[in-house]
Amino acid sequence: MIKKFPMWLHFALTLAGLVVTLYMIFLYAPEEMTMGEVQRIFYVHVSCAWPALMGFIIIFIASILYLMKRSPFSDELAHATAEVGFIFCTCVLVTGPLWAKPAWGVWWVWDPRLTLTFLLWLLYIAYLMLRSYLVNPGRAANLCAVVGIIGFVDVLIDYMAIRWWRTQHPQPVMLGGPNSGLDPRMLATLLVGVGAFTILFFLLVRVRLSLAGMRRELSEIRHALAFKLSED
Amino acid sequence: MVNKYLFLAYSFVWLIFMLYVWNLSRRQTRLKKDLDEVKSKVAESASTTASGPSGS
Repeated sequence: MIKKFPMWLHFALTLAGLVVTLYMIFLYAPEEMTMGEVQRIFYVHVSCAWPALMGFIIIFIASILYLMKRSPFSDELAHATAEVGFIFCTCVLVTGPLWAKPAWGVWWVWDPRLTLTFLLWLLYIAYLMLRSYLVNPGRAANLCAVVGIIGFVDVLIDYMAIRWWRTQHPQPVMLGGPNSGLDPRMLATLLVGVGAFTILFFLLVRVRLSLAGMRRELSEIRHALAFKLSED
Repeated sequence: MVNKYLFLAYSFVWLIFMLYVWNLSRRQTRLKKDLDEVKSKVAESASTTASGPSGS
C-alpha cells in the first residue's frame, strides 16, 4: 500500500509536518509553569520515542512473517526498520538526559523506564551488528528474526513501566489514568509532533527499503553475470 | 535567551537526522554507480554474444 503513495508527496508531507511541528513547539504551545522553556524538549522527546517503540513492533511482526513465510521483503523491512528505529531511539536517549539535567538535577537515573529504553537501544545495536557481522545472509536473517521477536518483550515492559511502577520518569500524559492530562494546546502540539515524526519515520524506512531493493538487484545481476562468464 | 539544554536537544536531534540522511544519500549514490557499471557490463557482454565469435 505504501508503495502506491508517491514519494514526492510523502516527502512534502514530512517537510510540512516538521515545519508545523516546530512552529507549534516554539510559538503555539504555552510555557510550562514549573520547568519553563526547557519543558519544550518534551515534544521532540516523545515524538521520537513513539517511532522508536513502534519500530520494534514492526520488526516483531516482520520477523514472525519472515520465519513463517520466508519472504525476503519481510526480512528487508525488519532490517530497514531496525536502522531507522535505532536513529529515533538515539534521539530519545540524547534528548532525555538534556531534559533530565535541568528538571531533576541529574543526567541519568537507572529507573525502569530509562533502563528499559537504554536496553531497547542496545537491542537495536545487537540487531544491526548481527546483520553486519554474519557473512551468511540466510543465517543473519534467521538470527535477527529471533532477536526481533525476543526484543519485543522489552518494548511491552518499557511501555508499561511508568504505569506499573512509581518511577523518576514522568507518568504518562495520555492514556494514563484520571490524574493525567495536558493543556489542550500542549496536547495538540504533542499530537502534531508525534504525527510528523511518524511520517518522517516511514519516509526514512521507504528510502532505506529502496536501497535494499537496489542492493538485491545488484547482487542478482552480479550472480547472473558470474554464471554467464563461468559458462563461457 | 534560549535555554542551553533546549538548544542542545533540538540541535542534536536535527544533527543526527541530517547525518543519517547524508549517509543514506551517499549509500544510494554508490549503489547507483555500481548498478550502472554492472548493467553496462551486461549490455557489453550481450552485444559480444549477439555478434558471435569474431572470425578467428
